[in-house]
Amino acid sequence: MKNSPLSRRTLLRGLGGVAVGLPIMEEMIPTTVWGAAKNPGDVPVRAFNVFFGLGIPTPVQPDAFHGVLEPLSPLKDQLLVIRGVDQTRCDRSGSNAHFDGASGAFTASAPDGEARSGGASIDQLVRRSHYPKGLPAGMVPTLVGGTFFRRSRVGRYVHSYNPDGTVASTIQEKPRDLFERVFGNIRAGEGSDERRERLKRSVLDSVVDQYRFYTGPNSPLGHDSKERFKDHLDRVREYEQRAFAVEIADPRAPGMPPRSNLKHGGAADPGGEGIDITLEELRKEWRLMADLYALSIQMDRARFGSITFLAAGERIRLQGDYHYDGRLIHSFDDSAQLGGSGAKGCSHEWWHKFNEKNKNEELRAHAHMKMNEVAYFLNRLHEGDENREANGKSVLENSMITISTESGDGRHSDVKRELSGVFHAITGAGGRFKTGQVIDTSAEGIDIYNTMLGAMQVGERLGPKDRKHRRYDAMMA
Amino acid sequence: MLRLSFALALFIFSSSVAEGGDPLWSMGKAKINGEKRVEIDRKKFTDQIKKSDTITIDAWILPENLKQSGPARILTFSKNTSERNFTLGQDGDKIEVRLRTSRGGPNGTPALATKTGSLKKEWTHIVFTRAPDGKSQISLNGKLAASKSLPGDFSNWNDDFTFQIGDETGGKRPWKGEIRSLAVFAGPGAISEARSKPKPVKKVDPNVHLFETQVTTILSQHCLECHDSSTAKGDLDLSKRSEAHTEDGVLIAGNAVDSLLWESIESDEMPHKRPALSAEEKTKIKSWIDGGADWTIDFIDPAIYGRPVEAARQRVARLTRDEYIATVRDTFGVNISAEAEEWLPAEIRADGFSNTAYNLTVDLAHVEAYSRLAEVIVEQLDVAAFAKRFSKLRDLTDKTMIPLIGEMGKWVLRGPLKKPETALFRGISTSVASAGGDFDEAIGTVIEGMVQSPRFTYRIEEDEGERAQVNGYDMASRLSYILWGSSPDKDLYQVAERGGLYDDKSISVQADRMLKDDRAKQRSLEFVSDWLHLERLENMQPSTEKFPDWNAELAAAMREETLIFFNEIVWKKKEPLAALLNANFSFLTPELAEHYNVETSLKNGMQRVNFSEGSSRGGLLTQGSILTVGGDNASMVTRGLFVLDDLLRGVIKAPPPCVDTTPVPSKPGSTQRAIAMERVESKSCGGCHSKFEPLAFGLERFDGLGRYVEIDEFGNALREDGEVLFPGDAKAIPFSSISELMDLLAGSPRVKETLTWKLTQWAVGRPLNAYDADVVRAIHESATKAGGRYTDVMTAIVKSDLVRYFPDRLDPISSN
Repeated sequence: MKNSPLSRRTLLRGLGGVAVGLPIMEEMIPTTVWGAAKNPGDVPVRAFNVFFGLGIPTPVQPDAFHGVLEPLSPLKDQLLVIRGVDQTRCDRSGSNAHFDGASGAFTASAPDGEARSGGASIDQLVRRSHYPKGLPAGMVPTLVGGTFFRRSRVGRYVHSYNPDGTVASTIQEKPRDLFERVFGNIRAGEGSDERRERLKRSVLDSVVDQYRFYTGPNSPLGHDSKERFKDHLDRVREYEQRAFAVEIADPRAPGMPPRSNLKHGGAADPGGEGIDITLEELRKEWRLMADLYALSIQMDRARFGSITFLAAGERIRLQGDYHYDGRLIHSFDDSAQLGGSGAKGCSHEWWHKFNEKNKNEELRAHAHMKMNEVAYFLNRLHEGDENREANGKSVLENSMITISTESGDGRHSDVKRELSGVFHAITGAGGRFKTGQVIDTSAEGIDIYNTMLGAMQVGERLGPKDRKHRRYDAMMA
Repeated sequence: MLRLSFALALFIFSSSVAEGGDPLWSMGKAKINGEKRVEIDRKKFTDQIKKSDTITIDAWILPENLKQSGPARILTFSKNTSERNFTLGQDGDKIEVRLRTSRGGPNGTPALATKTGSLKKEWTHIVFTRAPDGKSQISLNGKLAASKSLPGDFSNWNDDFTFQIGDETGGKRPWKGEIRSLAVFAGPGAISEARSKPKPVKKVDPNVHLFETQVTTILSQHCLECHDSSTAKGDLDLSKRSEAHTEDGVLIAGNAVDSLLWESIESDEMPHKRPALSAEEKTKIKSWIDGGADWTIDFIDPAIYGRPVEAARQRVARLTRDEYIATVRDTFGVNISAEAEEWLPAEIRADGFSNTAYNLTVDLAHVEAYSRLAEVIVEQLDVAAFAKRFSKLRDLTDKTMIPLIGEMGKWVLRGPLKKPETALFRGISTSVASAGGDFDEAIGTVIEGMVQSPRFTYRIEEDEGERAQVNGYDMASRLSYILWGSSPDKDLYQVAERGGLYDDKSISVQADRMLKDDRAKQRSLEFVSDWLHLERLENMQPSTEKFPDWNAELAAAMREETLIFFNEIVWKKKEPLAALLNANFSFLTPELAEHYNVETSLKNGMQRVNFSEGSSRGGLLTQGSILTVGGDNASMVTRGLFVLDDLLRGVIKAPPPCVDTTPVPSKPGSTQRAIAMERVESKSCGGCHSKFEPLAFGLERFDGLGRYVEIDEFGNALREDGEVLFPGDAKAIPFSSISELMDLLAGSPRVKETLTWKLTQWAVGRPLNAYDADVVRAIHESATKAGGRYTDVMTAIVKSDLVRYFPDRLDPISSN
């Protein structure tokens, strides 16, 4: 598999072919990013959360940028890795650590039901503090996207929450949907709101999926009935185009990305049994998602939000050779290597089987791959002139980007162990935090997050009002 | 070979050895005393089970004792005592099923077992079913004996295991007893589905088959216009065996070259002044004559044989607008008729009805309407209360939502959901959740998705294979849409789930119950409305000069007259359908009575009016709703064609393109009958017109809007006598008055048979043809024997092979 990052030009070429030859990219990026600054040295406040599923067991987290963290090493000067963060306060009786830990990421609170977090996520508190009257017109207030499949509970994949625990924005799980969210406006009928219109479109997507099944090669229908359904499918698509056409609001937008070929919606999570996917398929979709998300930030269409690479407790049966830096790291073939099918054949099982006395090669390979993909996204905000801002730093360096996950173990046998030692990494946020180090702590996530909020000049704090805040100075620059 | 489309594995015991064979049902039995390995295509078997996510195991057994345990293996698909895909076994006086799923252990545990003492030392019918949602149950002799959820799927089934009867692979768990049959299905979990059997194959001689499916059609389409019993040009009647085979030299069996029929066809001498037969059609005629010119039916009825058999292909049927409204009402308890009637396009009639499946096309307007109606349904629905019918839990986790969606989907979509479908709808709920929506919004949005699903807007059936019985859920839908025009009710589903829709008796019980429901009455009125095209009255615009008193109220009264009259005959008096033709009463408003020139003392509203013996009024054909089909000038052509087509099931070709079909108005000295007679007696027109225009002569005294007049506007005296020629007959029967004509029609076997055909066509939603003829004849005989009432005909229809089985898919050409 070719493993070189997409250049901006490659990106544009990759965006469905329509964008080939678009002349706007060179002037687009500097204009938008710098245009957001009032004067040189003044850059917009931004906060994003980057989540990856299943986590890295504490014993596997190295004390430097090697091992599973090797892919982050090119960005080590932009990152502070914090090992040993305690998230045990996020445990909630009755739900497992995948969900509790994922809900606790960026909120430091236990989930409140299956679709709400226990409180705000840090990106949202920063947004509310710095833009109390809302973001400038035309911006997406909060951009939530990701490549994930497991979806039984919202907290597994959404990582931006309002203070009341509701999701801050609908997640976009297909690159094209994210593109439309950022660059387009869906036509909402009189009296209807755009959120509702988008949900209606997702319903229509499910209708399309059913007609596609009945007209596809596995259809149980005879020829005449299939033809009738093909007609119906055509009419549904026509209706979709007419009723839910997206108007591209930003004339600088690149061409429409291609339709996703991966499973989405309910089909992506068949009752928790997992799906088969190749590394190439996964990477192709994620990188397009990451490219578009990064482009949204570069073009100053989004300043807050979250992006997810694989859900908490994700269930995929991954296949394919994974190369890094010219080396074959691992040949993924979860189902065969685990000797199981369905849920029992998913990479998730490597976490359940984790034992610090063993080599855990497969788990390490998966974690390495995930770090590589996280690094890919981060690098999209760092590399190249288009990411240089008025103060000379990159978008990555100027933003508060928090990278975290669900768990520091995965065996479900000890909640404390599982929710302790949860991997975190943060960017410098315009020089506010240390970078270039891996530090150990036993501090609680709530204190880490509140320290970050303080550094970002946010007055509000996570957690109970009467709780004494313990500032975590070790992370401060 | 095993018929995999029907049963994945079927073992019938007619001797001491189990055999996998053609699924002819047999109640022989075999004594089992230990291991009998069975060879089947295990990969195909396993793939089918995995694909359907459903398994049904059906067994008829007699245990030798109630002590054997282990469980003792009756039927197993396993490797050894600890690894299996499934095992049906006996554990003392219990039946136990072990089933491997992705959530269970390799030994198929936890097992599902019946209670202690549930198995007796007697012949026992065991049915184990496991649905895609994991719901599993064992029934013993038709009674539920155990149930539990066996979650997961069959992705971990191993096709290397051994299929075996009477012991575990490798021994050690022998079972002793007798077995009549064992069957395994991958179909939905209706218990007695496993008992369904395919319709027996009718063995037909190839030449007979060629005659019945091809030659009859060719003769109907090309020859009978001139050479039927009534016209018999050149004294040649090709519609009857007795005539065709006795004519010297017309048909010489086994010798086409010397047969006059072949000679005239081959040379294109015939058909006269009509397009010649195609080369393919000629080949079929020659092949038939050379093959012996078999002639197996008395009379080639063009109404049966004139239609190409291809039209009988099974299609999915979109719900008609009426069906959609009724289905929403019965599924959700909400009334969206106002919106649906405004937004959904009206159905277009084809082959005499508006529910003809091939014509139920879809337009952008349908898709838009379905989308808008989905919102209206959810707006009107108490979503929380609706969801509570299927689950008391109200959270958005998989644990709650997947079973809830499964149960709700089974109700809304008229049958169990397959796993990908559950996942799809579950996906909608997660989208709502991830957009910050709550439980009620998620359920509401899932419902929006379900009611736009093809499984809601169409009637899609599990195709069980050629000649196979329609499965329980689909049979429930067939019954409910035929009898009610709507979705099945809870009782019907329960009967279907218990396997109670596979035999005459249980179908009769359901039909009786359903025909007592008001929905059956409403459905029958939809039939009469569709059959007689009563909607037409709304759009009539007769000449205001000629008919200044015409108004919309009068049109509505005519429609009501027919509907109430039908209701009175069919539902209140419960009379045979033929009484519709000559009952001597009707229901009129004072205005309609005045319009008809009927003297009454009616004050207001629609009231019953009795007519005297021999009155010119009485019966459907004397009602304004029918009489207006002839237009302002009371066209004999249109009225005659109506009687021919809708009462006599006669067939007539369209006029040649050059003919001027502009109605000729009456004038002094020339009545419509006189104008018609010119056509009847014309050499070029009479061949066809003689077959239908005289049918309207008896209605001459009714003007274009149904008023009774004895002298027309030009002073011409009008008559009521005439003669009626029933299709297939050589001679017409005279009548002297309108009431005599009505009695003739009411007593005609042809009319009675036509009523059955019309109801049957409407019930199955497609035109009928030669393949259906035998079944419809049987329906008619059965219904006539039962009394010939609407309920008798409908009961006979739903019990018939036409409704209970998938059609025979023999290709008439390749089968030769």
